[in-house]
Amino acid sequence: MNKNKIARFTKPLLTAMTVGALSMSMSSMAAEDFPSKPINYILTFNAGGESDLSARFQQTVFEKHAGVKTVIQYMPGAGGAVAWSQLNGMEGDGYTIMGINIPHTIMQPIVKDSGYKTEELTPIYYFHYTPNAIFVPANSKFEQLSDLVDYAKKNPGMVTFAGSGSNSANHIGQTLFDKMTGVTTTYVPFSGIGPAMTALMGNQLTAGFNYATSGANAGDKLRMLAVSAEKRLKAFPDVPTFKELGIDLVGGAYRGLAVPKSTPEEVRQKLSKIIGDINSDPEFVKKMEDNGFVLTDIPYEQMDAFMEANQKEYEGVAELLGLSK
Amino acid sequence: MELLSYLVEALTPLNLMLALIGVIAGTVIGAMPGLSATMAVAVLVPFTYVMGPASGLIVLGAIYTGAIYGGAFAAILVNTPGTPSAIATTFDGYPMAKQGKGALAISLATLASVGGGVVGGIALLLLAPPLAEVALAFGPAEYFWMAVFGLTLISALSIGNTVKGLIGACIGLILSTVGVAVVGGDVRFTFDQVSLLGGIDITSAIIGLYCMPVIIDLVASKTPHLNFAKVEGESSLKTAFTLAAKRKFNLLRSSIIGTVVGILPGAGGSIAGLVAYTEARRSSKESDKFGKGAPDGIIATESANNATVGGGFIPTLVLGIPGTPPDAIILGALLVQGIKTGPTLFTEQGSIVYTFIYGLLIATLLMLPVGLVLGKYAYKSIAKTPKQLLVPTVAFLTVIGSYAIHSNPHDTFVMFALGVLAWVLSKFGFSASPIVLGLVLGKIAEQGFVQTYLIGSAQDRVMEMFFGRPISIGIIICAVFALIYPLWMARRKKSQEQTVALDNKPATLMVTLLIMAGSGVLLSQMDGMSKLGAVFPSYILYAVLVLSGLLLIRLLRTKHSTPFLQLGVLPTARQSAVVVTIGLWTLFMSTLGFALSSLLAFTSIMLIANFDKPKLVPMLRNVSVSVVIVAAFYLLMKEVLLLRMPAGILF
Repeated sequence: MNKNKIARFTKPLLTAMTVGALSMSMSSMAAEDFPSKPINYILTFNAGGESDLSARFQQTVFEKHAGVKTVIQYMPGAGGAVAWSQLNGMEGDGYTIMGINIPHTIMQPIVKDSGYKTEELTPIYYFHYTPNAIFVPANSKFEQLSDLVDYAKKNPGMVTFAGSGSNSANHIGQTLFDKMTGVTTTYVPFSGIGPAMTALMGNQLTAGFNYATSGANAGDKLRMLAVSAEKRLKAFPDVPTFKELGIDLVGGAYRGLAVPKSTPEEVRQKLSKIIGDINSDPEFVKKMEDNGFVLTDIPYEQMDAFMEANQKEYEGVAELLGLSK
Repeated sequence: MELLSYLVEALTPLNLMLALIGVIAGTVIGAMPGLSATMAVAVLVPFTYVMGPASGLIVLGAIYTGAIYGGAFAAILVNTPGTPSAIATTFDGYPMAKQGKGALAISLATLASVGGGVVGGIALLLLAPPLAEVALAFGPAEYFWMAVFGLTLISALSIGNTVKGLIGACIGLILSTVGVAVVGGDVRFTFDQVSLLGGIDITSAIIGLYCMPVIIDLVASKTPHLNFAKVEGESSLKTAFTLAAKRKFNLLRSSIIGTVVGILPGAGGSIAGLVAYTEARRSSKESDKFGKGAPDGIIATESANNATVGGGFIPTLVLGIPGTPPDAIILGALLVQGIKTGPTLFTEQGSIVYTFIYGLLIATLLMLPVGLVLGKYAYKSIAKTPKQLLVPTVAFLTVIGSYAIHSNPHDTFVMFALGVLAWVLSKFGFSASPIVLGLVLGKIAEQGFVQTYLIGSAQDRVMEMFFGRPISIGIIICAVFALIYPLWMARRKKSQEQTVALDNKPATLMVTLLIMAGSGVLLSQMDGMSKLGAVFPSYILYAVLVLSGLLLIRLLRTKHSTPFLQLGVLPTARQSAVVVTIGLWTLFMSTLGFALSSLLAFTSIMLIANFDKPKLVPMLRNVSVSVVIVAAFYLLMKEVLLLRMPAGILF
């Protein structure tokens, strides 16, 4: 923790110095006509998940706002850590951008050595958020959340939750849910949202702790009991929030974009503006909201404060869960 | 006949042309180990935004099915599956090619792939909604038993050598646990190497395990890589038709297996091929011919893996759950178009979906002419290329292939290290296939096992979860059959052909002790792992210890010992040189730059593989050919597939 503190303190200083040095040299030249060729957009997860879908939505309108195309590539592994640990070694000319997630990039370095530190990454925009949600199969006897909680109280451990991965946003959500409601449930990790939802639709488990977006394609095979957002989602107006039901559970996953550390300040700002413009494109907004995503606008200028708040929150969560190394 | 009206839409000149281009591109990409359908499909998705949904989907589907088929080429010609789906194609395809029947093997693979693809496509066309329920009927326990069933193939693959085969499988299973665990989240067996956090990539491992030994053995002697058959050529298609027609039941059964396995999300073509192969071998009257160039083996694998294409689209379109990575990308393309997948898709968006399915079927049929032309060309070029060009080209393909998967030089190094390991182990009677099987099935087996255990123990019915479910019981029965049948058959035939394993007693003893020591080291690494993360690897490691113990006892009791030198463990000068060159290549690729290091290594390996007296004119010709090959691939990867290539200091 101590190292982190020093690093957090020195980071702005170092950034300022590097940026100063760089912007005085050749980079400002190149930055002026940025972007002038296709931008590589690296995703840190396999195709088919929330990161992929939202990036594909961005891709459809990218050229309209950036003047150039973007090319999506996949670099999955270790819950994203494989790609994030290599990000700063990539070319910092703005033509390489990478998907970045919270809580992943905060929790991973806290729990274990993941080959990178949170403060070494340079997010330039967090553009959306997917709250957690509890699902049950359509033929489940649990009609509302209180049914499930009552059953879990009477039968400790019996309720099984399908989720994506260990120490993930889903897992954190489930653990906090247990603490807040005083029940004991069993979390069963799957290798992704897809396999978890499949098992749930097949009635292999009692319920699922997933993202609200996860059920968008399941049709009528699943029922969403509650969503951990501040307010109800436009795509699912009938699903109550946990808060409405008296459980103070708000959380999920933020997704954004990061650049290699060597990317010049001007280019970072330009990229941040492009993503911001896309985020207010009506065509894009409609697609995202129809699928249950919650758009967020956290541009480069507000990043430090945003990261600090999240860092503090998840350090607390990690301590609560006994995950800190 | 509303269904038929969509067929007309699929038959427009534009759609036909797109299907043809897609199949050609897919076949070429699939034939190159490491370049995958996922890659090509991912790059092409944006084009579908402008093309209109049905046409766009037809291209993507055509590329996908072409790539699964193309994987057979490399499997047959250089013993390296072009895609993991073609793992089991190497078992019989490569022996056939070695016997001079490469053209026949490719024709068989083509017919089988078309047959399998059509069965999968028809299932998608007519039965998608009911078949999607299959995906839901498979829970964690069924996935676990399916992986176990796949592993029983080892008993058949290593007759007379079962203990070594099992040890190999355990090595593969342990390799599959390296990195951050999905269940439990532990970091396992990385030895503090950040680059191992993501685990060992299956594709690069397969390239290394299968292809490196081929390269190392190729430079050992002057004999050509493949015998070029004299009589065949024109008649191979006819012969293939006759052979396939006689095996139509195998083809149909394997296609159905492929369709069903394709429906299961996360299983995919490699498992479909292995399961169909196991089943074909078990039910065949000539099961002892499998692994030595049996047409049945190729037919089973290739029809099953192409059937997974149609099968995989079933849960993708009906449930919104992608069966495979390319399915996932195609699903994304659909959602971007504003098309909601789900049970209503087939009724509400019928024109798009059915036009696409017909397009996919047409593309599958187009594989026949495309495959026969490309196949003949590929076989001739591989058989006729002089060794001094063939060896560096194959080496080059392994290096770029393993790099291209994730644009990660680390994968290339893993490919190299595992390849050398496989070559050494093969000299002591441990073959590569059990290792590959363990690696491919390990993750599915472990996750299925732990998930079943978690669900079972939460509700106090662990035994019932593992052994009480109807589908599980069915798979267990098949697995027991597949496990015992080959051993029983072998015992019955024992008097006829006694297989004597080549073993140099002191050397094999040493290798066995090294394996035991290795498991000991790994066991000591397991302190502090969570119970979830530790249970599977610890069982495997104890199994390795027991099996090695058995092997030790058997070794000590046998009197037979092959002289050490006869094993060919010590590499020749050329073999060491080629290993060192590829090793340096993988190590310095990022610093020297991809193109420069490739040119250097390519020409060095050309010299190493040259058995003739060096003459100026052919040398110059070969050097210019190598420049063309390297440049062509560099451009394909950088400009067409848009991969990030290491720039290094020069280029």
